[in-house]
Amino acid sequence: MNRDLFRASRLSRREAMRLSVASAMGVLGASSSGWFEALAADAASHPGRRKSCILLWMSGGPSQTDTFDPKPGHANSGPFKAIETAVPGIRMGPHLPKLAKQMKDLALIRSMNTKEGDHSRATYYLRTGYLPQGAVRYPTLGSLVANELDDDSVELPGFVSIGPVRSINPAAFSSGFLGPKCASLNVGERTIAGATAGDGGASSLRVDDMEIPRGIGRTRADDRIGLMRELGGGFVESRPGVPTSSHRSAYSRAVRMMRSEAAKAFDLDTEPAALQDAYGRNPFGQGCLLARRLVERGVPFVEVTLSSVDGNSNGGLGWDTHAQNFDAVAKLCEVLDAGWSTLMTDLRTRGLLDQTLIVWMGEFGRTPKINENAGRDHFPNAWSTVLAGGGLRGGQAIGDTGVDGEQIKNRPVSVPDLLATIVKGLGIDPMKQNLATDGRPIRIVDLKAEPIKEVLG
Amino acid sequence: MRVRVAGSWMVAMLALAIASLTTPARAGGPTGTEARRPEIQTDPVESARDARALAARIDAVLAARWAKAGIRPAAISDDGEFLRRVSLDLVGKIPTAAEARDFLDDPAPGKRAALIDRLLDSPAYTSHATEVWRRMLLPEADTDDDARPFASTFAGWLRRKVVEDAGYDRIVREILTAKLDAPQSDLDIANGVVRAVPSPSPAAYYLAKGRKPESLAAGTARVFLGVRLECAQCHNHPFASWKREQFWSLAAFFAEVPGEGNDPTRMMRRERPAPVRELTIPGTKKVVAATLLDGTKPEWRPRAGTREILAEWVTSPENPYFARALVNRVWARFLGAGLIEPVDDLDGETDPELKALLDEVSDQFRAHGDRLKFLIRTLTATRAYHLSSAGNGAGRDTSATGPMFATMPVRGLTPLQLFDSLTRATGSGQPGDRARFLELFSGGQERPSEAETTIVQALTLMNGSYIEAATNPTTGRILGAIVDAPFLDTRGRIETLFLATLTRRPTPDEMAKLVEYVERRKSNDDRSKALADIFWAILNGPEFPLNH
Repeated sequence: MNRDLFRASRLSRREAMRLSVASAMGVLGASSSGWFEALAADAASHPGRRKSCILLWMSGGPSQTDTFDPKPGHANSGPFKAIETAVPGIRMGPHLPKLAKQMKDLALIRSMNTKEGDHSRATYYLRTGYLPQGAVRYPTLGSLVANELDDDSVELPGFVSIGPVRSINPAAFSSGFLGPKCASLNVGERTIAGATAGDGGASSLRVDDMEIPRGIGRTRADDRIGLMRELGGGFVESRPGVPTSSHRSAYSRAVRMMRSEAAKAFDLDTEPAALQDAYGRNPFGQGCLLARRLVERGVPFVEVTLSSVDGNSNGGLGWDTHAQNFDAVAKLCEVLDAGWSTLMTDLRTRGLLDQTLIVWMGEFGRTPKINENAGRDHFPNAWSTVLAGGGLRGGQAIGDTGVDGEQIKNRPVSVPDLLATIVKGLGIDPMKQNLATDGRPIRIVDLKAEPIKEVLG
Repeated sequence: MRVRVAGSWMVAMLALAIASLTTPARAGGPTGTEARRPEIQTDPVESARDARALAARIDAVLAARWAKAGIRPAAISDDGEFLRRVSLDLVGKIPTAAEARDFLDDPAPGKRAALIDRLLDSPAYTSHATEVWRRMLLPEADTDDDARPFASTFAGWLRRKVVEDAGYDRIVREILTAKLDAPQSDLDIANGVVRAVPSPSPAAYYLAKGRKPESLAAGTARVFLGVRLECAQCHNHPFASWKREQFWSLAAFFAEVPGEGNDPTRMMRRERPAPVRELTIPGTKKVVAATLLDGTKPEWRPRAGTREILAEWVTSPENPYFARALVNRVWARFLGAGLIEPVDDLDGETDPELKALLDEVSDQFRAHGDRLKFLIRTLTATRAYHLSSAGNGAGRDTSATGPMFATMPVRGLTPLQLFDSLTRATGSGQPGDRARFLELFSGGQERPSEAETTIVQALTLMNGSYIEAATNPTTGRILGAIVDAPFLDTRGRIETLFLATLTRRPTPDEMAKLVEYVERRKSNDDRSKALADIFWAILNGPEFPLNH
């Protein structure tokens, strides 16, 4: 058994046992069935509900001035007029009216200070908590959380990524040294910019090929998987490493999902049409709906990427509004407002909002000053992220960027601070150490991180 | 019949109209640099001998390194492992069952070298090398819809370079000096119908980078020089000594590149404005002049364009970065890790021994006319390249000491390698399959030795319609042929399935078990199904989708 694959995982013994049971029962022997049963025979007791996290990832770097840190009365606002929210004194951009009504469940962090203005590096930084350096492959947030909270009795993967654009920096979407067992299941992935299925609807978020082909039947499928494991066993043993262990891991996960009722989560058509409408008939809106269904079924980390609207791709960086910022932001906000606000209402109705932490962030903010193309450029100096639900203290804005938004006036928040707050909010110790591939201990979040205590309450 | 036509980029690309018939100057001809170059070895026999000598040098350096670290390298790969590896590396797909059988049964002692020569001379090498270059020079076309349409004109141009066995320096010079103001389309006159098709041209490089000076500068530095400057775009580089001003001074060489908002008719009015060789750093009032990365002021010449001067400097024999950046990448492609990592950052830390080796190989590369084939002949002749990927120890964990190259790393296939290999192994493939596969399998790790299988990929290979048809004896071409071949018994069929997919024969243990798996069935139909199961299990197993 490959030690790396199971190291540092609380699932290790059970998972390892199951894999060895399966390979010991080689189909070439008398008992040719049983692999699926061995997988499915986990009648483990549900260890009580843990928290989940939904990350709304804003690819390209959203403008804080036009969303969560408006500057009413200042030229930097451009044509946008801020609106009131449910919390007196806190205002928002004009195209988020539904979210504004739920301000009491939102904590705005208006004083992000991150110093990294390159899409690729900043994406890595925000998504892993570390700057790319040396040989260490830092895991992305979803993998870190899945590693802690994944529940083995849940047959879905612990980390599902909806509509990711990994090509911006594949390493920023990787499970890094945590290995393939913490890798994401990617749904509706965009390798290219633009809509995947073109219909902006639920079908693009389906997981294809989950059914055994007609005419094969379960016994034969069982035999085939047994053969595959038996024939490949020697190869995997003699060639340890990511390529072989990820192959084994992906097939185990895939087979479990094929057999599981939980895979029905991906069938969004069972939801009332009115609810689907409310989320928005677009990949992000339907992605939010799918996120709720996954969280409901025990998936600890789901991320939904908003990278484009109207098929206007902008290279997979929809929020990268260097030109014509206001038109683009208005359209993006319309999609965002519907999807996110409905997600919160829906979770609240089901009693899940307090256990589900929603994070809104991109890789950086945008310049408060408007450039000559009516656009805004990269701005890591003073920008906004938002935390919502999850039992955190909402109804507040952390930090202040003054009248023009160009400088942080108080309470700067770093990337490690933000990630430590998220992780702690999920009940995980941010200072816990994982072992990197070379055996070096690496904390979930950097040692100098200080969780935002006003938010954690 | 093909006629050259000048027009604006948009016109050419959209093939909508033809503005005027002229005879534009040849794009990107050789510059004065070649005259200054030291003597270059071009004789094929001499070159091949030099490649073997250089491989022996590499062997000696690595052997000393293994001895010092107390590492015993992996065994030499067997013929099947080697044939599969070198086929994937040189022509981008696995060999057929017949090719595998011939090679395995060939008793000639020099068959590996002969195989490499044969593959390098094959048309499949041209296609694969074109694709490899294209992915390195125009990676945007894989990920960016806007850049995708330009991949074909770029690839068409690259293909010509590969066929001509053009030196890398010439390829880069032609890119950097590509004519942008008078883009060309070929008039394709067939059956009396005239169509304008974009001519093969390196100009797509500029379009894929959005024609932005900063993207062109970052790309030039990273790909051609192995220097990461992107961060210096916004601020001074925290680790290396690159400064923001240096970055924008490099970008200033591209200040003249016609931007998106430019009037496309500008060039037709034949204005000859004074060359623009400076830029304002965005968000500041600071204007910087085009300056080379080593800080020297360019020596402008009246008839040489701004980018021509840059191209001369980039490809100059005195530029220490140019050849090293490429050699390090190609080394990584063949041996799984670069001498310096990450491969596109020559400022990265590395062992002085490995750095010296990179210098030596790079100097030899230049002395042989920057020919990629010289480099490939060298690397594929090294002992490291012939080592097996099997083995648990042998310096696999190299993070502390730098790579050892004592065991061949297992590498993931590119989406195209995987699809082409699947097609070859199964004989199946519908027109839509290719695009779907390329989409599904792209976007993964940049480092092939860390390639990951995703759950969605596993589902597609298990249950998807492509594999379903390919592993059905009545619809799968290769499987059907093997199952129906009257001259094969069960053992022969199983052996052929292995050769067609894994480029090896089954081990005696595998053979015994699999024969039993098939022969315990009573009817012919059930035996066919059992063979189909074996085929499915091989295609889905870990050995097939990996280069090892």
